[in-house]
Amino acid sequence: MRVIVVGAGEVGYHVAERLSNEKHDVVVVDVMPERLEYVQNHLDVAVVEGSGANPSVLEEAGIRSAGLLTAVTSIDEVNLVCCMSVRGGKKLVKVARVSNPDFYADGAHLKPESFGVDVMINPERELALETIRLLEATAATDIAVFAGGVVQLVGVPVVDDAPIAGKTFAEVGAEVGTTPLLTVAIRRGGRTIVPSGATGIVGGDHLYFVATNETMSQALEMCGYTYTTVHRVMIAGGSHEAYYLAQLLQQHRGQAIMLVKERDRAQELAEKLHNALVLNGDATDVELLELEGVGGVDAFVALTDRDETNILSALLAKHAGARQVVTLVNKMDYMPLAKMVGLETAVSPRLSAANAILRYVRRGSVTSVATFKDIDAEAIAFKVSEASPLKGRRLADIEFPPGSIVAAMIRGEEANAMVPRGNHVLLPGDTAILFALPEAVGPVTELFPP
Amino acid sequence: MNIREVLHIVGALLMWAAVSMLPPTALAFTEGMAAAWILSVSVTATVGGALWLFTPQQVSINRREGIVVVALGWLSVVAAGSLPFIFTGTAPTVAGAVFESVSGFTTTGATIFAVIEDLPRSVMLWRSISHWLGGMGIIVLGVAVLPLIGMGGAQLFRAEVPGIATDRLKPRVATTARLLWGVYALLTATAAVTYLALGMSLFDAVNHAMSALATGGFSTKTASLGAFPPAIQWVTIVFMLFAGTNFTLHYRFLTGRWNSFFRDAEWRWYAGVALMAAMTVFVALGLSTGSWVFRDSAFNVVSIISTTGFATADFGAWPDFTQVVLLSLMFVGAMGGSTGGGFKMARAVVVLKHAASEVRKVLHPRALIVTKLGRSPIRADILANVLAFLALYVVTHGVGSLLIAASGHDLVTSLSAALAAMSSIGPGLGEVGPASNYGHIGAFSHVILSALMLLGRLEFYTLLVLVIPGTWGRPGGHR
Repeated sequence: MRVIVVGAGEVGYHVAERLSNEKHDVVVVDVMPERLEYVQNHLDVAVVEGSGANPSVLEEAGIRSAGLLTAVTSIDEVNLVCCMSVRGGKKLVKVARVSNPDFYADGAHLKPESFGVDVMINPERELALETIRLLEATAATDIAVFAGGVVQLVGVPVVDDAPIAGKTFAEVGAEVGTTPLLTVAIRRGGRTIVPSGATGIVGGDHLYFVATNETMSQALEMCGYTYTTVHRVMIAGGSHEAYYLAQLLQQHRGQAIMLVKERDRAQELAEKLHNALVLNGDATDVELLELEGVGGVDAFVALTDRDETNILSALLAKHAGARQVVTLVNKMDYMPLAKMVGLETAVSPRLSAANAILRYVRRGSVTSVATFKDIDAEAIAFKVSEASPLKGRRLADIEFPPGSIVAAMIRGEEANAMVPRGNHVLLPGDTAILFALPEAVGPVTELFPP
Repeated sequence: MNIREVLHIVGALLMWAAVSMLPPTALAFTEGMAAAWILSVSVTATVGGALWLFTPQQVSINRREGIVVVALGWLSVVAAGSLPFIFTGTAPTVAGAVFESVSGFTTTGATIFAVIEDLPRSVMLWRSISHWLGGMGIIVLGVAVLPLIGMGGAQLFRAEVPGIATDRLKPRVATTARLLWGVYALLTATAAVTYLALGMSLFDAVNHAMSALATGGFSTKTASLGAFPPAIQWVTIVFMLFAGTNFTLHYRFLTGRWNSFFRDAEWRWYAGVALMAAMTVFVALGLSTGSWVFRDSAFNVVSIISTTGFATADFGAWPDFTQVVLLSLMFVGAMGGSTGGGFKMARAVVVLKHAASEVRKVLHPRALIVTKLGRSPIRADILANVLAFLALYVVTHGVGSLLIAASGHDLVTSLSAALAAMSSIGPGLGEVGPASNYGHIGAFSHVILSALMLLGRLEFYTLLVLVIPGTWGRPGGHR
């Protein structure tokens, strides 16, 4: 499928990368030649220089034969105009990135169809949602949600003296009976392992496991954490992400303390937010952090536009004693560094955006997709249809493509999530959540026709 | 300052005032007082007509002239309104007549008459009509019906309608004014019909409907609403609450937005404070006197907070605690954009929230705290205006009380009379309580209180502009 990505920024780059890796023909459009050169040097994609809002530029990029148009520049209006002005084929799916909170203000929902857009994505809001979930899961470094939050796939580092450290999965299973710790992958020393019953767990392992809302606290305890609720959250930065997070905290009855450097932006946020304390100051101002009691907050989330500020302020907060620290890292190159200095929980706007877009690339039976920053795998939720070759078969009898594993099954009402067992029979209407390495994504998708 | 154009509009307003004297004039023929009324109408119409005729027929006024029109318009109409009291011989002094007229047009409802029932019915009707005209505003009415004020209408509108910021219902100010007067007339008619249905005479029903919806307070009975059965008192509570509500909300409600009241932050405060105060007074009154009549507490609390000034009981004889509650309500007053007076609920809430945010800033020196009313932030210039308004209110009240005390009245009387006048309530406490009247307080106090009533009704700025020398210079020039 030909895919046109308008905007070669962080988000556009990452989307192009993922789609290109999945063997799509990707054309990247941007006005800045140096960005395009960077893209061309790193990815196997074509580039076209020009504005995405210009129909002739899109024409040149081959819009007529394209199956997907993703407009993900940082300017909402350009993205919308881009989707409005194209004359593509009938099957063209148009995705626009729309980030400005004003467009989503209460009652003023933009209607995608009035712009000729099929899907609007809001990476900033996705990131804020992800952050909230991370805060709720205390120790999680990654989190993906399926079936409206009933099933979550979380990445958690195991504490050295955790109850499960030094045991095998079989031993853990024998101790607790039915294990709440359904692990689909382990990252150990840069390698990704798909575990079996004989695999041992050591402190420092990064487990990716599936948990329901009921089993989450037990699973976290087994990894050596105590489950607590989040009330006071200090947010560094006045970005869209920060605004969305403060707004979400408001809905979760939490209290946000925001550090905003630019006075005008701080004023604007103070007017828009109704339950947040907005402070005008730098996130790396140690005196201010101490004055506002950074050591006593339940969580510190660094969401400024600058990675360096984020990492530094997060370190300050962690040092001062903030219980939980989440850092926004834009440059993927900084991710390992953040990990090295102890900032395990990092969020990235490009991952959030890519997840939001990938969800719509593989339409049909796919209901949800999540990718992770450290392991090169995807978690995909499929709906079992009448046409599926797996219909009516036992899980044990199905040969799933190598590099993929069934993580969870959901039947009927979404509250009924199950740990997959060999004798489970797939029925139409079931949702299967699979964890797949990139090379397995294609074959797995074929098993679940719409 | 183009004074001739200003006088042209003032002339039009005076002729309008003469027209509004016609119904009582008609009534006067049945009482043998027609001569006095015809004289009042003639004088008003002649002065108005002269001003109208001997000035340029084309007017285009700027903001400054607009404010002067409102101020001079009010002074002239109030002066004209005092003529019937003088010519019919009902008012013993000219100061008393002016007081009664100002009290009428500013919807205060403080009266110099000890026994209302002795008044000619034409005079009673005129008192109610003056309430009704002043309630929604004579200038707003002028904007609504006189095509000539079309251009500068927005300035006039802003100068007369009370409250922080009145949002326009329609893009055209004349249309907005017409809608507001329409809603006002509709509610008044509804009140009159309800009163009739509950057994009031036609004359009483019309008078009380006009008085209630204007948050006036003049009654046709000395005992005020106390002379009527409980059902009528309950209905009056509801209509007083309505009158103290922003009329924009009524319009929205009547046009199908049934949740317009609860969505409005100022209304939630207004209704909430009224309910809390009524409950407090009810309990305090019950505990101290043993009489548990919720209607009495609710009626007098709503009468004060809506700045109407009807009474069903002599709250001057109630326990001191409840009198302090009522005194506080006198200060706060009704909602902006209503026919009520006072400091206004929105301003009070904003001032309190601003004070609270200043306290919070001690804890968080770097915090940016935006004062909000409901969900809408209050702009810094509006906040400054509200704080200045508070200063003017407090200082004016202080000076007013001082002058009244200087003329020989006691502390409670001076403080409450000045406040009741500024907030356009009517009855105060002490010598001017609901069981008494303002007839005996002397000409000096009549003049002072008349000034306070006008200042309060026009929210200071409009009237004070008249005494600033710069007003009278050329536009843009310095004095």
